[in-house]
Order: sequence, then structure tokens, then C-alpha cells
Amino acid sequence: MATIEIDRLVKAYGRTTVVHGIDLAIQDGEFVVLVGPSGCGKSTTLRMIAGLEEITGGQIRIDGRVVNDLQPKERNIAMVFQNYAIYPHVTVADNIAFGLYRSKLSKSQKRARVAQVAETLGLTHLLERRPSALSGGQRQRVAIGRAMVRDPSAFLFDEPLSNLDAQLRTQMRIEIKRLHHRLGTTSVFVTHDQVEAMTMADRIVVMREGRILQVGSPLELYESPVDVFTARFIGSPTMNLLPGAVRNNRIELSAGGSLPATATMATTPEVLVGVRPQDLMPTGSDAAGLTLSGAVVVVETLGSETLVHIENDGQTIIGSAPGRLIPKVGEHLTLHAPVDRLYYFDKATEKALAAR
Amino acid sequence: MSVAAHREAATGGLWSRMSLGQKQLIWAWGFLAVPLLFYVVIRFWPTFQAFYLSVTDWTITKPAAFVGLQNYKRLLADPLFWQVFRNTFLYLILGTPISLLISFVVAYYLDRVRFMHSFIRALYFLPFLTTAAAMAWVWRWFYQPVPIGVINDMLSGFGIPQQPFLRSTSQALPAVLAPAIWAGLGFQIIIFLAGLRAIPITYYEAARIDGLSEGAILRKITLPLLKPTLVFLVVFSSIGFLRIFDQVYNINTNDPGGPLNATKPLVLMIYQTAFSSYEMGYAAAQTVVLFLILLMISLVQLRLMSDR
Repeated sequence: MATIEIDRLVKAYGRTTVVHGIDLAIQDGEFVVLVGPSGCGKSTTLRMIAGLEEITGGQIRIDGRVVNDLQPKERNIAMVFQNYAIYPHVTVADNIAFGLYRSKLSKSQKRARVAQVAETLGLTHLLERRPSALSGGQRQRVAIGRAMVRDPSAFLFDEPLSNLDAQLRTQMRIEIKRLHHRLGTTSVFVTHDQVEAMTMADRIVVMREGRILQVGSPLELYESPVDVFTARFIGSPTMNLLPGAVRNNRIELSAGGSLPATATMATTPEVLVGVRPQDLMPTGSDAAGLTLSGAVVVVETLGSETLVHIENDGQTIIGSAPGRLIPKVGEHLTLHAPVDRLYYFDKATEKALAAR
Repeated sequence: MSVAAHREAATGGLWSRMSLGQKQLIWAWGFLAVPLLFYVVIRFWPTFQAFYLSVTDWTITKPAAFVGLQNYKRLLADPLFWQVFRNTFLYLILGTPISLLISFVVAYYLDRVRFMHSFIRALYFLPFLTTAAAMAWVWRWFYQPVPIGVINDMLSGFGIPQQPFLRSTSQALPAVLAPAIWAGLGFQIIIFLAGLRAIPITYYEAARIDGLSEGAILRKITLPLLKPTLVFLVVFSSIGFLRIFDQVYNINTNDPGGPLNATKPLVLMIYQTAFSSYEMGYAAAQTVVLFLILLMISLVQLRLMSDR
């Protein structure tokens, strides 16, 4: 159990700076997900918390104690790696026991602790096996077991689910989440998958090019992204963005039609109007809202809903239709979105403009 | 349609009537036939020939006649054979562990060196590319008395008396072994480095987080994971030391295997029996013995090291 505070954290390799002075305060027991595209500095940040990378500048405090110059083993954190990092030459039980390497428990106490963790993770019947005899999900569970066995003050997860197939990933996601509910240990989870971030996090930290763009709960990020990047990164499929010009208190969309402008747009001549595919539907019509029409180019049937791609003003717009209503390719379709479901961004700075 | 198919079957003959599996089989054996033929003619046939010769008294000048196990009886009664046998095993039990220990230590530390890594690695590999004859000449100079010999020069600098090295029956074998070990280091280092590089870095990172010390990481992670590499190198270098020849032959050209057979290995004895005394049958018997020794040692090592 611990808080993790990061102050103006900088990481540079020679002249290349990969983390540009980020600040983040993680509360005790919180599940925080660092998310962003590859090379955004999320893994580097995690590795600095773990002590596997040296800190170039700034400070990391775990439970109020500055850990900048502490060895990984002195930080009492546990880490789960993408490739599990479980040793092929020893049994599952011995792998889990590696987590207790520095503990002063007696042999039998250690064994009891390993058995207890195995019980929690449903690994009891596999304890004497070698990792090569395990499935990907089981290996991942062994890695988590090794992390848990020590009762660390924080769990660090470095893309732990990327090597699993889609079904197993969903399952492990839930298992990790439930484990967190049960143990209540502070957790930092790195992923490039926004679905993982949305489903697991208490708070999401969106990173890009070594900077934090936004920190917030999954819903905050979905409802009020601070910029175009976050808006497009969170939510699937990606948010549609329509360019428009502000004239006479109206936004003239280049795709045709206009929308009411807000007071904050007075100084921004060019804007981007964002609309999520889930809000853009062929049914209902709001006179004040957004209306887009065009020829259907692709139809993706998902069962519960159907994603419709239409060609509009040289741009492909993704909308959604209820599952039963499947438009045909080539058909002309008109999509609507209510005005209160639209997002506005300054085209020049890509920053969000006043809430709708 | 059926007419066309019929015509094709008629004109295509045997090949077109075969199934895809049969055609693949013919292609596979066609390609395999070349190396197979090569091995039979160049390797297997001479091997069996050697087994046959070992029970004859062929001496080049007279035709081979069957003599049963007489060559083997003579060999077991030959004091030179036992001397050579002892030498060969000394090369093996000194050479293999010493060379593996040195090359592992070098590889272990070289793995961490980033500065001029490739250049240093190439330097270590260089002796492996050098011919044994050239190497033997240089080392022979090293072992000379002052003022030519570097080693004796250094020893006298520390006030240590001159050592006879190659001219002493007790020092000659280690003195011959040293360049042999040195020559093989490059290869072993490269293989160890490849083995070390194949261990995922996250294993070490996970170990650091769990709080293992450097020594514990080496004992509990690096060495066990390096076992396949180690098995390969132990077997490979054991075979190398059991077959040692050129290092010995070249370093003492006036009296190969001397002084007083103190450095003579089995292969050199075979060579001299065959090409100085021309006793081909006797030499073949010695070859069979060497073959059996190599086979036994390799099998024992594989058995010992493969399962725990």
C-alpha cells in the first residue's frame, strides 16, 4: 500500500529526451493506467518507478520516500512484464518463490505463502509443473503470482496482456481487475490499448511524445477530451473530425451545413467538429444538430450494431446503425447527431474549445 | 472436358498420373540423394574400411591379411600406447575446463562492454583464424630461454629462474596445451556470447526487482539458462582436445610429441604408425580405439548434462 508521486520527471538518453518533466500523483490503492502510442514514454516512466531506468531529472516518491537513488529491490514494488519473465528452468512454485527471495521468512512459511498465492490464482494443481507446460494465460498468472507473493506496496504492469490472444486478454483483464479489488494494492498499468485503459483504470493518464496530455477517469476522458489526440485515441471506432470555418456566430462545415458557434470560438477562425460514430445515426433528426450524407462505402456488421462508413466531402465518416438495420454499399445515407453530442477543437492548436 | 483430361493423361505418362504426395516424395529423395551419396562414399565407406583394416596386417608393401584381434592385443601391451593414452586424457581434463572457464569469464564481461564491443570480439576470434603452424612457431619463441623467449624474460625480471618449458618432460604438455586453449578461446567466446544474448533481458530485470544479487543471478538464472550452450561447448571442446594434433606436431617439429613422448597424443601416434612406420593395420586399430573413446565420452557427457 503506497502512494506514488512523480515530480517533473525527466528521462534523457544522451541528447534525446524521451520524458519531458511529467507530474503525476497516484493515490493509495488506485489503479492508474498509462496509455499512449509506442514511443510515448509510458514504459520508460514505469521503468523509472521500478528503478530499472535511471532518473535524469525530477523526483519519484513512493509513500513519501524519495526513491531516485534506490535499487529496485529497495523500493518494495513488484513488476509484471510483457513476456512474463518467468524462468523456464524452474517449476511454477519456484518461480513464485523468487518473489520471496529477500524475505526473511522460514522455508515452510515461504512454502505456505506460495501455496496461498497459488490458491488465489487457481494455480495449485500446476505448482510442480515447468512453465513450458503452461498456456499463455497460466504463465501470465504465474508472473502475477510472483509479484503478489511478497505483498508489495505497488504493482507495476508493463503491457502484460499484449502477448495473449483477444479472448484471453479480455479474461485476464477481468482477473487483474478483480484481484485489484480484493487486494487494494496501488497499481500502475502500462498499455497501448485504449480498451484496456478504459475498462481497467480508476484513472487514465494519456501520454504522447514524453508528455502527459490528460489525466482523468475513463468517462472524463471520453466525455471531455482536452485535445484532438486524446479524443481520437479514446473510444472505438475513432471520433470523426469535420473541418469548419467560424462566420457570423455559425460554424460553416466544409462538408456542407452549419452549426451554432459558441462564444469561445470568436477568436478561432478554423475549427474541427468531432462526433463519435456511436452518436452519428441514420435515425432521428435534430434540426440544430449535425447532418451528414453520402454514399455508403463499407458496412461492418457487429451484431449489436452496424458501423457504416460513408463518403462525404472526400472524407470517410463512420456512423453507426442499430444491429438490425443494415444499409447496402452504394446506397445514399443521411446520418444525424444531436448538437449536445458534438466536440469542438481549435484546428490550429488542436486543443478542445469550451464545452458544448 | 473429359476428352481433354483423357488426352492429357495419355500424353503426360507416368509423371502426370502420380499424386502430389508422390511427386513431392520423388523431389525430396532426388535432392537428398546428392548428400547421401557423398556421405556414403566419402564418410561411411572409409569408416567401415578402417574397422576392417584394424583386423588385418596391411603395411602398404604387402597385401592385407586377416589377423583377428592381434593389432588390439599388441596395442594394449604397448607401453607407448598407455603413455599416449595418459597424455590424451591430460589434454582433455585440463584443456576443457580451463578453456571453458576462461572463455565464459571473458564472454560474461565482454557482454557488458559496449565500447568497441565488435572490435574486442574480433580480437578474441583472431587466433581461431590463424593456422596452427604459424601459432606454434610464435609460441615456440615465447618458450625460448632469454633473450629470445618473452616468458623467460618476464620470469627473470621477477627474479624467477629460467624454465625449460618445451624441453622438460613435466612442463612440455602444459606448454603445448596453452596455445591450444588460446587458439580455441575465440570460438568458445562467440558461442557463449550468443548464448548470453539469447537470454531475455526481462529475466534479469525481474531478478533485480526480486532482489537477487549479481552472484545469485549468475547462479540461479544465467548458468541454468546457458546450459544448452554449455553442453554443446563441453562436448565440442572435449572432442577437440581428444583429437589434438596440429598444435603438438608443429610446436616440436624436430621430435613431434617429444620430449620422450611427453606430449604425444593419440592422433599423433596414429599418424606416426601409419605414415612413418606404414603399419596401416595397426594404425587402423588405434583409430578404432580413438573412435570408441570419443563416442563414449560424448555419450556420457550428453547423458550427464542433458537431464538434471
